Amino acid sequence: MQIFVNSKYDFVKWRFYAVSFSVIFMLIGLAAYLKHGINWGIDFAGGATITLRFKDAVPMDRLRADLAAASIQQYGKAGDNAVLIRLPELSKETDYAGQVVAKINNDLNPQTTTKLDINFHGKDRLTELLASADPDGKGSSPAARDYYKNIAQNIVTRRSELGVFTNMSQATSAPGVTTRIAGFLNDKCFLGAFNLLNQETVGPQVGHDLQQKAIWAVVLSTLAMGVYLWLRFDLMFGASAIVCIIHDVLMSLAFLMMINGEFSLNIVAALLLIVGFSINDTVVMYDRVRENRRKLKTRMSLEEQLNLAMNQTLSRTILTSGSVVIVLIALILLGGKVIHEFAWILLIGVLAGTYSTVTIVPAVAIAWNNLTGRKHDLSGPVKGPVRVETKPPVVPPAQRKRKAG
Amino acid sequence: MTRGLLWKVIIILAVLVGFAAAMIPTNDNPEPIRRGLDLKGGTHLVMRVNVGDAVRLETDQGAEMLKGQAKKSNLPIPATRRVNDTTFIAALPADTPTTEYEKIAKDYLGSFDVSRTPEGALQFKLKPAGQTALERDTIAHTVETIDNRVNALGVTEPYIATEGANRIVIELPGVDDPARVKDIIKTTAQLQFRLVEGDPGSTPDAAMTNVPANMKTEVDVLPGTREDALGRAAGVEYYAVRKTVPVTGTDLKNARVTKGQMGQPNVGFSWNPEGARKFGDLTGQNIKRRLAIVLDNKVVSAPVINSQINESGVIEGNFTPQQAADLALVLRSGSLPASLTTLEERTVGPSLGRDSIRQGVLASVVGFIALILAVLLFYKGAGINAVLALLLNLVILLGMMALFHATLTLPGIAGIILTLGMAIDSNVLVFERIREELRDGKMVRAAIENGFSRAFGTIIDTHMTTIISALFLFQFGTGPIKGFAVTLLIGLFASVFTAFFVSRVIFDVMYKPQDRPTEMSI
Repeated sequence: MQIFVNSKYDFVKWRFYAVSFSVIFMLIGLAAYLKHGINWGIDFAGGATITLRFKDAVPMDRLRADLAAASIQQYGKAGDNAVLIRLPELSKETDYAGQVVAKINNDLNPQTTTKLDINFHGKDRLTELLASADPDGKGSSPAARDYYKNIAQNIVTRRSELGVFTNMSQATSAPGVTTRIAGFLNDKCFLGAFNLLNQETVGPQVGHDLQQKAIWAVVLSTLAMGVYLWLRFDLMFGASAIVCIIHDVLMSLAFLMMINGEFSLNIVAALLLIVGFSINDTVVMYDRVRENRRKLKTRMSLEEQLNLAMNQTLSRTILTSGSVVIVLIALILLGGKVIHEFAWILLIGVLAGTYSTVTIVPAVAIAWNNLTGRKHDLSGPVKGPVRVETKPPVVPPAQRKRKAG
Repeated sequence: MTRGLLWKVIIILAVLVGFAAAMIPTNDNPEPIRRGLDLKGGTHLVMRVNVGDAVRLETDQGAEMLKGQAKKSNLPIPATRRVNDTTFIAALPADTPTTEYEKIAKDYLGSFDVSRTPEGALQFKLKPAGQTALERDTIAHTVETIDNRVNALGVTEPYIATEGANRIVIELPGVDDPARVKDIIKTTAQLQFRLVEGDPGSTPDAAMTNVPANMKTEVDVLPGTREDALGRAAGVEYYAVRKTVPVTGTDLKNARVTKGQMGQPNVGFSWNPEGARKFGDLTGQNIKRRLAIVLDNKVVSAPVINSQINESGVIEGNFTPQQAADLALVLRSGSLPASLTTLEERTVGPSLGRDSIRQGVLASVVGFIALILAVLLFYKGAGINAVLALLLNLVILLGMMALFHATLTLPGIAGIILTLGMAIDSNVLVFERIREELRDGKMVRAAIENGFSRAFGTIIDTHMTTIISALFLFQFGTGPIKGFAVTLLIGLFASVFTAFFVSRVIFDVMYKPQDRPTEMSI
């Protein structure tokens, strides 16, 4: 199947509409930013997040009363009974999340009982309990310990599959649990209110360091890219490539602002990928412009050169971006919560990268060309080993055709 | 098939088999591609080693050394005062020649620079080189101790490394009781045996009342647990213990949980010969006195010495079985030379990891299949070529990750799938060129030749730009992002290989020059 065979779209003509669209999009993003600022994730802001999955309905009022400073939101589907608790930064460095989890555990679970909470504790505690009580009469050899460790592991694996135990029979039906162990578990264990899915603490120093690193990474990689293209092509292309990268990154950021998404380390990774990937379309197009110049037979303005190259590479641009977009849509639809925003930002970046190659890049290149005396309107072969003919390199301004657009 | 082409096919098959073999789990290496903590659950910790602790200790020990040697040489003992972490000042008695002390400093305190203060006292400052070496040793010793403890806990495949000047990164896969593990890691476990002066009291002041007047400045008041008549914990009480520490836990040979007479768990310990000698001296000379067992500046217990003890002893202290086991563990693994501060902690419960990997893999597989279908739809026969190159790319990528012991993280999965998207780009560039050449009326062989050679420069450029951004990701990223950058870099190199070499060979096999092919499915 072939698409865009010998297409002759006048991309250059559309560039002002495109620039307007991008500016409006970014302004909406800016408005969203002014409205609620950047939603820094704990990677950068510091603080703690805790994800808990409850056995029954989430005791929202208790949690809110306990944790006045926290923001508490539902995590996953409504029926999951899971919450994500976000706590603001503490100025001192400490095991913040751990302390809060201990506090919630204290408040929601009975602390007077000597029974073990098998929704909260892990396999080590359970192994310890089983091995010291030895319900199956295996003795105290290392082999006996392994036997109980294995059973404890099976019980915890079962809990992992379910998310949380809602009744004791789910635990006692784990593989390897004998009738005696089941009786022992019923006797000596109980199901606490929640299972801890995730806890994170980032101290203020680490958050600050990460923020610095992220900014440097994006800025330096953009500059490095511009320098590479400047050396490989020329200053005009290097400069328009940098504008193109900044455009793509800003479009993605504007989108992040609009959805008020969390600015996390994963988002920085996505932005760096956009810097590297969205420029590819531009590189391919430039390569084509340069190649065309080498075999140029007739006079051609920069506008015509750009249009020709963009049309020649159009089907490649669409196919490649299309393949990546297909993959990203799969990630967005099926990839789960953790990579959802990451995939969205990449998608916007890839789309912006494709679109900016045929709109923003020509706009910058043409503006540059106009400001520098239209040196890039070429009339014959300029580079490469074979020089077929020689004509005056610069066309007098009076003879210029009217610019498109 | 020509000889050259045959060799190329053999190379490709060798690469395929080699990398596929690297991915196969064996008994020695059950998980060739290490899954990150976000996929299998576990704890990621970043801790700061407070190296100042060790420096301070070194300075204090210098002061003790000076006093000890002065006593041995029958010189008046100078009063010492620590000014900061690295410096202490010894005020010398007026009637003694300072040369005697300078001789001690020269013989025993070589790691200090000695100078005179305007008041005529001696100032000892730790040499900068010595301080640097000490800090380095402290970090190394801390890593080793944590490693011992983590291994003793039975954590499989822990990762412990230093980061920057004084940070330690600890990754503990599969740990599902992070609070306990953190406690064990962070316990400095500095065990000391110090003589008690006077009687314990319910307040720090009460503890000082019975201390002999000449000892008042020679003691520290430390908290301990008060026991009721049945030996159960009942509040806090304070002990005045001597500042000098005759015996520390560094000379311990072993520690383990023992059962007391009532069946309560205790921690039994035994000494190495050096420790046995010191402990024997201490207990032999101080029969009927109280000896405080101090752990991390808390009095665990303070029994009365009934007889000289040489080889071994028992710490009794109202332990739960778990506490006794954990204490024995940290004593066995040695004490930390400095305290630790948690800077960052991320714990992923096993359920979340399981969900993430299921969704991540599902999304990737669906995305990959969609990609293959799209390529086949667009390029028909040549699409098969692209798909083969893509599959080989995937094998190389995963194989390389196994060989480099790279960690597969959730963003890493997205990185793999994105890399495959870029690999497709190389094929697309070549194929589009071939189509153009064919449209221009070139023969199949010429179109293939030109397609590859013309696309070459472009492909190098697109890869270079992405490599630049991957290098920055690697340089500035942490943890999962670093893993992601590695995935991306490997994938980029693999895609140059598959797009130019493999794809080319497949076309050479499909459209042999000697057959003079006139039709091409593309």
